[in-house]
Amino acid sequence: MCGIAGRILNAPGAVGRDLVALMAAQEHRGADSTGFAVYGAPMDSGYVLRGMGFNKGQMDADLDLFRATLREHGGDFLSDPKIISDASKHYCFRMEISDPTDLAAWVSDADELSGRIEIQSCGRSLEIVKDIGGAEQVSEKHKVHDMIGTHGLGHARLATESSVLPNASHPFWARPFSDVAIVHNGQITDYYTQRDHLRRAGYRFLTENDSELIAVWVSDQMKQGLTMEQALRKSITSIDGVFTFMIATPDGIGYAKDRFAMKPLVVIEQNGELAAATEEQAVRTVFTDECDVINHDGPSLFGIWGVGNRSMAA
Amino acid sequence: MSEIVIEVGKRHIREINEELQEACKTGKPIRVVDTLSRHNLGVGLPDGADITFEGSVGYYCGGLNTGSRLTIERNSGWATGEGMAKGHIEVGGRAGMSCGAAMIGGTIHVKGDAGPRCGVAMKGGNIVVEGTIGYQSGFMAHAGKIIALGGAGESCADALWEGEVWVAGPIESLGVDVNVIEPTAEEVAEVDAILEPLGLVDSSRDWRKMVSGQRLWYFEARDASAWLMI
Repeated sequence: MCGIAGRILNAPGAVGRDLVALMAAQEHRGADSTGFAVYGAPMDSGYVLRGMGFNKGQMDADLDLFRATLREHGGDFLSDPKIISDASKHYCFRMEISDPTDLAAWVSDADELSGRIEIQSCGRSLEIVKDIGGAEQVSEKHKVHDMIGTHGLGHARLATESSVLPNASHPFWARPFSDVAIVHNGQITDYYTQRDHLRRAGYRFLTENDSELIAVWVSDQMKQGLTMEQALRKSITSIDGVFTFMIATPDGIGYAKDRFAMKPLVVIEQNGELAAATEEQAVRTVFTDECDVINHDGPSLFGIWGVGNRSMAA
Repeated sequence: MSEIVIEVGKRHIREINEELQEACKTGKPIRVVDTLSRHNLGVGLPDGADITFEGSVGYYCGGLNTGSRLTIERNSGWATGEGMAKGHIEVGGRAGMSCGAAMIGGTIHVKGDAGPRCGVAMKGGNIVVEGTIGYQSGFMAHAGKIIALGGAGESCADALWEGEVWVAGPIESLGVDVNVIEPTAEEVAEVDAILEPLGLVDSSRDWRKMVSGQRLWYFEARDASAWLMI
């Protein structure tokens, strides 16, 4: 099953609160884990990092090692990491860092620590928060309700092809492209073929989750010169499986649906603001007045919703 | 006759459906309000009830209907009337994917468009769509009629069996193993008899009727000797 959601506001506002509402309404689609990608006020320089460590007993040593790796690449922590934890063995962190000399090279080295600590998102404005449990549970732990931003994504996961692990939750970051996140409902049937192709091109995947590659696949197509629109169109014929995914950048949210149209997508747009979700009852938790609903339930659909009329075609 | 009002809101869906079942026993018309696009509303309704859903409903509304009349004032989600045996469902707006899936009787009338796989695996009854029917509508329909007064999307009537798909507007593409035939005057009269109580008869329509090509999938036991060479 799985449930996905997207939200766009005209101006910075309570996007975290809305995403929690969208995902709480779809919790029956999978409460193994829940995640959110929120685009807040962009930093002029430096990055905001969200990440996860897997053994609280080694937290100080692991974070020291992580910092040393960053320093080797010319960056540093701008303040002490904020640690979020509960009774679980894993812990989560938020931190701001100065620019490394080469972001991709640093991420590649930092990912050598992936058994101990790993980056979930890196961006000027993107923050991915994900964890085990339902929408309210994850929000309570990570204070997603209080997150302010212009747009974002949400995901409720029913684990099928890979394990119920906090880091296998969605959204996924398009490692190592900053500020790109994805949520996906479906199954990619040529996952290993696609993953091998991207790995040979130098990309690293930290999970066995098929969704992890879509963000990288789309970002790689754009790196090779396609516009976002062209990359989304190409994904429909290049990736096998049944899927509906939404991919977010600082400028907005794109979506694509496969040729079989097995996974739903419902949208309400009003005065430049938007809510998209797997189910109509979810988008109606955000737009509570009676209004027109668009069912994107046909095959091979794709499109882009810009934030504040910004173009995503660059 | 006074009407019974049932409020949906955030209440548990099982509780609402139990209240609906009880209300049906009174014989009074029922109005369901504050529907919030909730799923599974009005599943398994008995014969004879008259129910109006104010607003939009979610998945499976009217599923397994055994004879009630349901009016959904706005949109319905996926699988409206799935497996229904008897009765009438009217959707004022558009219906989501797989409307009337595996239904065996009754009529579903969609005033707007219907999504993909409308009438998938249906085994009887009629689906009338005033707008267009989506991708792969009529897929493996064993019996019954899907009648689209507008057009049809891609792969129309893919792998159709004994069902029929009638389209009065443009068709994006046909599915596999489908024949398009010119309907006879008697066959058009049969369709008009379905449309007449809905006030939708129009003699100027240019119908295309799709039936099974019976090349890829059709197989009967009496043909077994030829296949097995015995």
